[in-house]
Amino acid sequence: MIELKDLSLVYPNGHQGLKDVNVKIEDGEFVVIVGLSGAGKSTFIRSINRLVTPTEGELHVDGDNILNYKGRGLRKLRTKIGMIFQSYNLVKRNNVIKNVLAGRLGHTGTVRSVFNLFSKDDKALAYESLKRVNIDDKLYNRADELSGGQQQRVSIARVLTQKPKYILADEPVASLDPPTSHQVMKYLRKINKEDGITTIVNLHFIDMAMEYADRIIGMRAGEVVFDGPVSEVTEETFEEIYGRSIREDDLRGGVEEDVEQNV
Amino acid sequence: MSNKMSKPTIYDDSYAPLLSPWRVKAKITAIFLVIIIFLMFSSWRTGVDLNELIWGFTNMTQITDKLFPINMAILGPAMNTLFETIHMAIIASTFSTLIVIPVSLLAANNITTNWFVYNTTRLIMNVLRTIPDVVLAVIFVGLFGIGVFGGIVALFIFSLGILAKLISETVESADMQPVEAMRASGANTIQAIAYGVVPQVLPQFTSFSLYVFEINIRASVVIGLVGAGGIGSLLMDQFSFNNYGAVMTIIFVIFAVVIVIEYISGKIREAII
Amino acid sequence: MSQPLPPKKPRSTKQIVRNFAICIAIIALYVWTFASINIDFGRVIERLSSNFDRVIPQLFSPNWDRAPEVIEMMIETIFIAYVGSLAAAIIAVPLGFLAAFNMTNSRFLATFGKWILSGVRAFPEIILAILFVVAVGPTPFAGILAIAIGSTGMLGKLYAEVLESIDMNVVEAMQANGANKIQIMFHGIIPQVIPEFLSYAIYRFEIDVRASTILGYVGAGGIGTMIFFAQSGRNWSDMGMILLVIIIVVTVIDYASTYIRKRIV
Repeated sequence: MIELKDLSLVYPNGHQGLKDVNVKIEDGEFVVIVGLSGAGKSTFIRSINRLVTPTEGELHVDGDNILNYKGRGLRKLRTKIGMIFQSYNLVKRNNVIKNVLAGRLGHTGTVRSVFNLFSKDDKALAYESLKRVNIDDKLYNRADELSGGQQQRVSIARVLTQKPKYILADEPVASLDPPTSHQVMKYLRKINKEDGITTIVNLHFIDMAMEYADRIIGMRAGEVVFDGPVSEVTEETFEEIYGRSIREDDLRGGVEEDVEQNV
Repeated sequence: MSNKMSKPTIYDDSYAPLLSPWRVKAKITAIFLVIIIFLMFSSWRTGVDLNELIWGFTNMTQITDKLFPINMAILGPAMNTLFETIHMAIIASTFSTLIVIPVSLLAANNITTNWFVYNTTRLIMNVLRTIPDVVLAVIFVGLFGIGVFGGIVALFIFSLGILAKLISETVESADMQPVEAMRASGANTIQAIAYGVVPQVLPQFTSFSLYVFEINIRASVVIGLVGAGGIGSLLMDQFSFNNYGAVMTIIFVIFAVVIVIEYISGKIREAII
Repeated sequence: MSQPLPPKKPRSTKQIVRNFAICIAIIALYVWTFASINIDFGRVIERLSSNFDRVIPQLFSPNWDRAPEVIEMMIETIFIAYVGSLAAAIIAVPLGFLAAFNMTNSRFLATFGKWILSGVRAFPEIILAILFVVAVGPTPFAGILAIAIGSTGMLGKLYAEVLESIDMNVVEAMQANGANKIQIMFHGIIPQVIPEFLSYAIYRFEIDVRASTILGYVGAGGIGTMIFFAQSGRNWSDMGMILLVIIIVVTVIDYASTYIRKRIV
C-alpha cells in the first residue's frame, strides 16, 4: 500500500513539483495519472521510489515512511519498485538478455554482478520474463537493433525480472506510435492482473487512460484535482484537469490489436 | 560593414556588394604582417637566417655523408634493447590503463558530483599533461637510478595524463538514462557504473588504450635518451661517441618498429570501433 | 529447476577459435614481457631511499635566481617551435594536395603521398633533432629543422583529410564555367580549407611548443639544454624552476590556442 500524506516538493530552483498531495493507493490497483506536462505527474511517480525527495509531508510504502531512507534501506525499497521510462533507458550496446538481467542487480552482490555471475534462477527468470512479453526470440540481439516498441517490452521484462511489488511507468508510450502504445499498455495491464502488481502509469492521452485504468488521478500545477474510479470520469473531468477544452493531440487513437499478435 | 550606420545611401561604398570588404582585407593583411614580423624576430633571436633555413632544406646531402654507410654490427644490441623498450611500453600502458579507470571516473562530471574532487582530479591531470615525457623521465631516473624502472614510471605518469583526459571525456558523453533505470531498481553505484556506463565506453576505452600504447612506444624510445634504458639509451651512447653510422642503424630500427606497431594497432582499433 | 534456462548464445567455431587465439596471444605477450624485463627492485628501493630527500624537496623549491635565464631559454624554445611549425604549415600544403585523392585524381599518387607523410610521422622529433644536429651542428637551427619536418607529417595528413572532405560541387561548377586549374584552386578550393588549415597549424604549434622543450637535450637549442645541465649537475632546484616555467607556458599556450581555434572555425 502506498500512502502520500500532505506531500509537497519544492525543487531547488523554486519550482513547486507537488503541493499538499493526499493519495492512498491499495495493493493491486491500476492507477493512471493524467495532467499536462509540468503538472507534477513525473514528480509524483519519482517520489515513490525516491528518485526525487519530497521536501514536506510523509510518504508511506507498506506502512513505512520512506522519506528518511538512505543507502542500503533506499536500495532495498527500490528493489520492490520497478520503473519503466519514456525512453526505455536500456544499455543500447548490450544484448537483450543482459539488459533484462540488470533487473536483478538490486538482489545480487556487487562482486558477483561486476563479474556477470548471475545465478541459474536469475537467468531462468530473465528468460521467463522475456517470454511473457513475447520477445524471447531477440535474446541475443543488441538493444539498439530493436524497434521502440520492442525496446519498451524489453524494459518491461527487466522490471518483471526484478520481481517488484509495484510498477511505476513514467510516460511509457510517449515515444511510440498508436498501435505499439496499445500493445505496451496491454502488457502492463495483463501483468497487473496476473501478478497483482500495483501499477501507477503517467499518461498524457485521455482515451488510453480511460481504456486501461481502474482509477484516475488528475494533476494540475502540483496538486491533485481529481481522484476517482474511471466510471466517474467524464469529458468535463478532463477539461477540469487540463484547464482547457480537449484537443485532438490529447488523444492517442489507434487501432485495437491483439496482444499476442506482435513483432 | 558596420551596423552603426543608420541607413546606407547610394553614395555609400558599403551599399555596393564587394567581393571582399576592405575590413576583411585589412584584417588578413594585419594577421599576415604579425606572422612575418614574429617570424623575422624569431629567426633573428634563434640566430637563424631565413636564407639558411631554405638552404638547409635543399642541402640535406651533408647528412648522408656523415650518417652513411650504416653500421650493421650494432644491429644485435639494437634488437635486444628494442625488446626492452617494447616491454617498458607494454608494462607502462597496462598499468596506466588500469589506474585510469578510477581516475577517469573521478574526472567525469556525470559520475563525480563532488565539485572539489572533480576539479582537483582534473587539475592534477591537466598539469601532468603539460610535462614533456623526457622531463618526467629525467626526474624518475634521478629518483630511481639509471634503468628501466624510472622509465616505466615516467611512461606510466605520462600516459595516465593523456588517457585520463580521453576517457573521462568519453565517460561524460555516455548516456546516463540506463544508469537512472538501474538506480531506480535498487542497484548500488558500482553496479550502476559496471552495467550502465562500462558497456558504453568499453570500445573507446580499448581503442584509446591501444593508442596510448602507440604513443608509449615512441615515448619509450625518447626517454631512453636520458638514461631510462631501452634502445634510446643505446642511441644516446652511440650519439655521444660520434658513431654516426650506428646512430643511423638504430634510427632505422626505431623507424621500422614504430611503423609496424602503429600499423597493427591501427588495424585492431579499426576492427573494434 | 522449474523454469527453463535461456538457450546458449550461438557461436561459430571460427569465433571460438579466434577468441581463443587472441587470449593466447595476449597471455604470451605478457609472459614474454614480465619474464624478460630486468628490474632490480632491491637497487630501485635503495636508490629511492637515498635519492628521495635530495630530489623531491628540491624539485618543489624552484631556484628563483635562475628564473631570468630559464625564461630566456623558454622564449628561444617558443621561437624554435614557431619557426618550425610555420615552415611545416607551408611545406605541408603541397604534400597535403598530393595526398588528397580528390585533388590528384590518382590512387597511386594519393597513396604514395600518404605513405611519405606517415613515414615522416614515425620519427619522434628528438630523433630527427639528433639527425639534424649531426648534419648542421648543435644549434637552434637543428631544432627548427626537426620541428619543421616532424610537423609536416601530421599537418600534411590533416590537410589531406580536410581537402578530401570539401564540397566538390563548387569545383565542378567552376569547371563548368570554364575556369582553369589555378583559378579553381584559388577561388574554389583554398577559401573552403583556409580556416581548417589555420586551425590545424595553430594546434600543431601547441604540440610543437611541448616537443621543442626537450630538443635542447641533444643540443638542438631551447630550454632542453638547461634540462641536460640540470640533470648532469643533479641540480634539482634548477630542474624545479624549469618544470614550473614549462608547465605555465604550455598551459597558457594551450588555452590561447584553443581560444583562437574556436574563433577561427
